[in-house]
Amino acid sequence: MKRRLAAFVAAAAAAGSLPVVAQGNTAYADKFAANCVACHGAQGRSSMALTPSLAGQPGFYAITQLFLFRQGRRDNPVMSAVAQGMPDADMRGYAEAIAALPAPPPPEARGDEARLQRGKALAAQHRCASCHGADFSGDKQVARLAFQREDYLQQTLRAFRAGKRIGYTQAMNEALASLSAENLDDLAHYLAHYERAP
Amino acid sequence: MKDSTHPTFGRRLLAAAALCALATTALAQQPPAEEPFWAKGRPKDEVSMKMAPVPAFPIATAADKLPVAKIKLPPGFKAEVWASDILDARGLRQGDKGTVFVSSLFVAGKIYAVVDKGGKREVKTIAEKLFLPNGIEFVKGSLYVATPKDITRYDNIEDKLDSPPAPVMVYDKLPGEIPHGWKFIKLGPDGKLYVPIGAPCNICDPGEGFAKILKMNLDGSGVETVATGVRNTVGFDFDPKDGSLWYTNNGRDWLSEDLPNDTLNHVSKAGQNFGFPYCHQGTFADPEFGWGKNCSEFAQPALLTGPHAGTLGMRFYNGKMFPAQYRGAIFMARHGPWNRTKKYAADIVVAWPDGKGGIKKMEPFLTGLVENNEYLGRPVDVMVMKDGSMLVSDDHNGAIYRISYKGK
Repeated sequence: MKRRLAAFVAAAAAAGSLPVVAQGNTAYADKFAANCVACHGAQGRSSMALTPSLAGQPGFYAITQLFLFRQGRRDNPVMSAVAQGMPDADMRGYAEAIAALPAPPPPEARGDEARLQRGKALAAQHRCASCHGADFSGDKQVARLAFQREDYLQQTLRAFRAGKRIGYTQAMNEALASLSAENLDDLAHYLAHYERAP
Repeated sequence: MKDSTHPTFGRRLLAAAALCALATTALAQQPPAEEPFWAKGRPKDEVSMKMAPVPAFPIATAADKLPVAKIKLPPGFKAEVWASDILDARGLRQGDKGTVFVSSLFVAGKIYAVVDKGGKREVKTIAEKLFLPNGIEFVKGSLYVATPKDITRYDNIEDKLDSPPAPVMVYDKLPGEIPHGWKFIKLGPDGKLYVPIGAPCNICDPGEGFAKILKMNLDGSGVETVATGVRNTVGFDFDPKDGSLWYTNNGRDWLSEDLPNDTLNHVSKAGQNFGFPYCHQGTFADPEFGWGKNCSEFAQPALLTGPHAGTLGMRFYNGKMFPAQYRGAIFMARHGPWNRTKKYAADIVVAWPDGKGGIKKMEPFLTGLVENNEYLGRPVDVMVMKDGSMLVSDDHNGAIYRISYKGK
């Protein structure tokens, strides 16, 4: 794990993908293991209700969410409290550690065929792949969705549609404005099972 | 930058809904959603599908990690860090008493004031939680702040940096659209405030309310149109020789890696039409909106400044520090493209007017911020200081650099 993170940090530094990537930040893999896994799961794969898997989220997305928590622009008392104690260096370090974790595998359950079909059609209609990528792996400031916990996706989609969660702009709020609660749940079901969809 | 607010959205939605009502399956009754505005026209290939606007990084880069050593300048010039830890630093203006005001956009939503205290710069936040407050101007002791929705004024601001006054509304009738709605504003030599209203789209026929530059009295009255057919200008200045307006314009996206160019334009008479959405870079008609149109119907650009370059802030150099050849030249910040495979620009270029409304040549001035097809920094605005040095804002790092001339 440390080797992988070191390789990532080196690669990111070479690519200049973050304005400044702290060198030799492998300590944050350990800090992540010590401070985050109680809720977000070993290797960032969550088994806690309504708590997202963080593994494989793009580093830019991860640091942006920490920034929004720290500023109180994303509403979650626990994460806001955590982020408010974080200096910039920690935010960079944790974001890099998160991005270095391998993305979660597909869930074992196959999912409900009819719901997967509906979710797939909704994802196409609402152009989720436009920003989240054809395989929903996210990129830069945009979240990875594939194989995220279904209950977390469901909750998040509902929060966006209700205007309770807002990013820098209202892009997600607008994208979801016309979807029903059932639509959102089908979409969450599809994204959580993505590769298993027919 | 990922917003799909669009004036024709409702209309299209209704039309699409009417068509789809004829379809039979439950799903087909839902109209296809609009793409985000910036994605409209994007080809569906794998390379393009990975390109999207990138906001400023949410953490300012520490002073000792800034890429100042990477910056290249002509001989005799020097770059240094002037101020750091200014998250999302964008527009630059200087007050009468020396305060440098800095605007920001999506990420910070703040206005900063930077005060020089014996060679050390102190950064104060004077307003926050603002809606894309990119446009600022300093006039007669007041700081004007333009958002996509309105223009407000903070009076006597330099004496009240630690307890800024409540803003006074100047003009509240801007459309408020997010796409190309954030402003660059500037006081003209005629005492009017110049205010652009960008096209609310990548490419569309936006109607009369958009794609133009307005001017108004400082109290928001007497609005007049200065130029039309202007897609999105985030930088302009007035020619010190005759007071005429020059502006930079961002060309449309997704037509090609190499077309169209951004442009530098000269407004030689009031109300000129610069061609959007019909004609691009003065040379070719838009593949969708340009049928039946000819570029000769429109005002021509003075200079092409590169495809998708993100040509933003510009100033005439009117200082005395730089060598004589730079006096009266135009400095432009190019932010660097997000929707082009090969990244370039992220620099300052300098162009010399030919005295006849055109440009005789353009040269690179500040370079070195693109490495391995990634940006080390992204210049947004330039400002000439009273001592003739030049400040450059970098929203990627949340910093301001100072460029001075020491001689060879």
